[in-house]
Amino acid sequence: MIVGLFVLIGVACLGYLAIKLGKLEVFGASGYTVYADFPSVAGLKVGDPVEIAGVKIGRVDSMGLTEDRARLVLRLTDGVKLQEDVIASVRARGLIGDKFVLITPGASEKIIAPGGRIRETDSPPDIPDLIGKIVGGDLTSKGTSKSDTKDEPQK
Amino acid sequence: MALRPERAHAGLATEQIKTTVDKALVVLKDPQLKPLAKLRERRDQLKQILFARFDFTEMAKRSLGANWRRRSPQEQDEFVRLFTDVLERAYADIIESYSDEKIIYLNERIDGGFADVNSKITTAKGEEYSINYKAHFVGSEWKVYDVIAENISLVNNYRAQFNRVISNASYEELVRRLKDKSQFAGAPKK
Repeated sequence: MIVGLFVLIGVACLGYLAIKLGKLEVFGASGYTVYADFPSVAGLKVGDPVEIAGVKIGRVDSMGLTEDRARLVLRLTDGVKLQEDVIASVRARGLIGDKFVLITPGASEKIIAPGGRIRETDSPPDIPDLIGKIVGGDLTSKGTSKSDTKDEPQK
Repeated sequence: MALRPERAHAGLATEQIKTTVDKALVVLKDPQLKPLAKLRERRDQLKQILFARFDFTEMAKRSLGANWRRRSPQEQDEFVRLFTDVLERAYADIIESYSDEKIIYLNERIDGGFADVNSKITTAKGEEYSINYKAHFVGSEWKVYDVIAENISLVNNYRAQFNRVISNASYEELVRRLKDKSQFAGAPKK
């Protein structure tokens, strides 16, 4: 009888360790979730960090498709407040580093409620796309516009 | 909010933005306003048209981000004025360089009081660029607070720049630089 009890305790401890180390969530996760739709989240994985100014405030809980856009569910630490106009962008550390979701704080007085949505999102720039723009010419630079000849500040 | 956005009919955001853009195009295409002497007049007309549709206060506020709330109402007013001025100078040339590009409105997404209108510009050479407008519902109208050209958000771009200056130097330094920009806009950028 006693031996059985100790075995059970041992198994429970092992289970606890497995869950903790594997970062599984069985007993309901802490924190709250918000979601955000992106045109593309290329390279991002579930579990990647969510940061403000380099400080981790949560992680990517899940990702899926809504219409033709990627929907990320972010799990944030309790106590972290996001203004309604924060911008979420998918960034990489260095040129080819790990991806993470960067949140830049906003100016609004309104706070996004748990389960709410981050409306402003920004996708990582697509490098081949950018190269294509350079090769093919770009509308926003002066290269293809009529004002070529004018002596104006470049923006 | 006089009118609830849900009661505004679908497509209203696109319609209102299109009307504004079309009005601007009429001015841009007007041969009578083409000569250099009329440049001032043309710019004033464009300004009037665009100011009615774009919410520059919201744009400035969002661009300043978290620092906005730390400023006094007077400082906020001053910042909006400066920001609008710099924006005008930065984009006037681009807008005025318009030459027969075709604009197609693709779709819009409405979510509560916010709209996302997608459009596409095709140049005479056949190159395509996406321009998305973000608007919010004020009173009975959609007002644009962000323009996303080729996935680059104007607000996000400025928010990153402004925050960098503020964290490296100070808010005063940012204001000084913006003042510089709006004063010496005629000179080439350093």
